[in-house]
Amino acid sequence: MGMVHHAAPTNSVQEQTSKCSVGATYEGRDPALLDRILPHVDYIEVTLETIAEVRDDKLRLSDEVMSELKDIGKAAQIIVHGVSLSIGSHDGWQPTYLNLLDDFLQQIDVAWHSEHLGYTKVDAQHLGIMLAMPKTEQALDMVCERVGRIQDRYKLPFLLENIVHVVPDFPGKYSDAGFLNALTDRTGCGLIVDAYNLECDAHNHGFDISEFLAELNPRNVREVHVACGVEHNGFLLDVHSQLTRNSTVELAQHIVNQAAGNAQVVVYEFMPEAVPGLGHDAIAGELARLRAAFGH
Amino acid sequence: MDLATHQRKLLGLIRSTYQVCPNDDAYIHAVAQSQDLIEARRNIFLWRIYVLERTCPLTLRLLKGRGLLEEAVSAFIAEHNISPFRETQGPAFLDMLSSHTDQLIASVAQFELALMKVRQGDSSSYTISWDVEPHNILYSLAKDIPITDEVPKGVYHILVSSELPSLFQIVCLE
Repeated sequence: MGMVHHAAPTNSVQEQTSKCSVGATYEGRDPALLDRILPHVDYIEVTLETIAEVRDDKLRLSDEVMSELKDIGKAAQIIVHGVSLSIGSHDGWQPTYLNLLDDFLQQIDVAWHSEHLGYTKVDAQHLGIMLAMPKTEQALDMVCERVGRIQDRYKLPFLLENIVHVVPDFPGKYSDAGFLNALTDRTGCGLIVDAYNLECDAHNHGFDISEFLAELNPRNVREVHVACGVEHNGFLLDVHSQLTRNSTVELAQHIVNQAAGNAQVVVYEFMPEAVPGLGHDAIAGELARLRAAFGH
Repeated sequence: MDLATHQRKLLGLIRSTYQVCPNDDAYIHAVAQSQDLIEARRNIFLWRIYVLERTCPLTLRLLKGRGLLEEAVSAFIAEHNISPFRETQGPAFLDMLSSHTDQLIASVAQFELALMKVRQGDSSSYTISWDVEPHNILYSLAKDIPITDEVPKGVYHILVSSELPSLFQIVCLE
């Protein structure tokens, strides 16, 4: 763990926050929660891995959840955010995810879809966690080729997200921001910047958020994520189980401002397992707070 | 180090199946010795717990009560190629525990797995054998209260089927 903590750039009193829509994760099977979320959001983020279930020995989208999502209608736009594509696996991505995405897109209109810039499997063995790409030319070439195939297949905007570094970073050719800039320059894909992931990296590895944001081309940032997890043995863990900290919201405001109108939505992410502990009131309150912070 | 080698070695370190060699890249040595690696494994463990607490609450509570939760989840992580599709994790975990040497753990896991399948539209009927009286145990697990030490022995079956009004029925055979 890095000993030097680099403070995140804060949103000074003088800095006027750019307006931005608000979104929230919703994984279905909790219509009372959805009713509390919808008045506060413009976007609902759906993770297909969570709404998939096993039927007839195959992974399929839950009919129950799909029905709920269809009923949202014009109350919010749907965006799909995957976790298992594993776009960075040397041995190929996860086709099961794309099969589910095919099925989803045939039934529901989405504004765009996204994934994480990392990998969850190696040689068909699941890691149980997501690891960041080594920022090498070989990795960049491979990911760019795959992004192109996804863009050709879906004809929808596709975004990739910076992920937490759970093990020390590999000293590759590119910096984190440099890798993202090269990726977006070559492919035209957009970016999700996860403010909490940046804070985890700063806390756990001394990652310099200011330097990252100064180098990152803000034109490509279309979505910003906020979340909060727990600290264990001095490490901030990327589990989405808490309400966001003020510092995360301030960092998200800074990112949105820097993106100068390109960032369309700030999404509050929480896992379904956290809902009983957080409670519907607190989640709705968090979204109202974000709505106020981003002035939309 | 090429991408495939890089990823294979990190997989091995995460799963504790790779021993670092003297001629390994300095980066692999650094990861192997890092506190980050220990925390990454802990993170994997926590994610599994979060999902399993939601998807198989009865079995998780029983394991907690018996002080076997950490052992069972660690074995699950070590021995199974766990899919990132969350809804597959609960059934895989319950399937593993269905042959547990502790008969009560095996019975509760079999029951919860059958109930899960039937709720998801499985039209099969399942019969689970119990060698203790199930009512109080299931009540305690459902309410998350301790199981009493004195559990009456007996021969019982729990039938699980979508044809049953509450999806299951307890039958006393003796």
